[in-house]
Amino acid sequence: MEKKLETVMEELITRPGVIGCIFADHQGLCLGVKGKASTESAGIIHAMAEEAARLEPKSKPPVILLENDNRSCILTTTGTLTGAIFKSLN
Amino acid sequence: MLDILDDMDRPGQTGYLQLNDDGAVLSSSGDLENDERTAAIIMGLINLTSQIDSKAFPPEEGFKKLSLVYDDHCYIVCLSNRKIHIVKKTLPTDIPTNIA
Repeated sequence: MEKKLETVMEELITRPGVIGCIFADHQGLCLGVKGKASTESAGIIHAMAEEAARLEPKSKPPVILLENDNRSCILTTTGTLTGAIFKSLN
Repeated sequence: MLDILDDMDRPGQTGYLQLNDDGAVLSSSGDLENDERTAAIIMGLINLTSQIDSKAFPPEEGFKKLSLVYDDHCYIVCLSNRKIHIVKKTLPTDIPTNIA
């Protein structure tokens, strides 16, 4: 599984605008990180995904999008896995 | 539902919440009328955003917009004039789901 995740992260980081990505498990522990992102944020992205999932517990978890003028962050949950992709808009 | 939509300013909007910076509801309408539960969850999310990856996002930059996107609707949150504005709106069904 680690190898598969590694391949996904390698592919993600080559996409236009992507500066970093991080994945966390169901406990908020870091599974992998690539590019400009730190392992310490695994807990935060997991906490955000959990908080957002409380909004509509009957629906599948939402995609969370954070934006400012220069950057954006996309947070998504699949099963027990939470992923964050950091993008630069310039 | 139609009469609610008639009162809305923005196309597709089904609900609106306005909070102060403590998270208290200042005004609301539609699906989000007096929805303190949604207000508390959104406030929780906003408080967490300040701690997000300092390597990828310098903390001094902050965020301007937060969106929560479901299959057929979304919540859009932004901060203006020390107030938090939350809009719930339906999404057109033909937009691509792969936004990454």
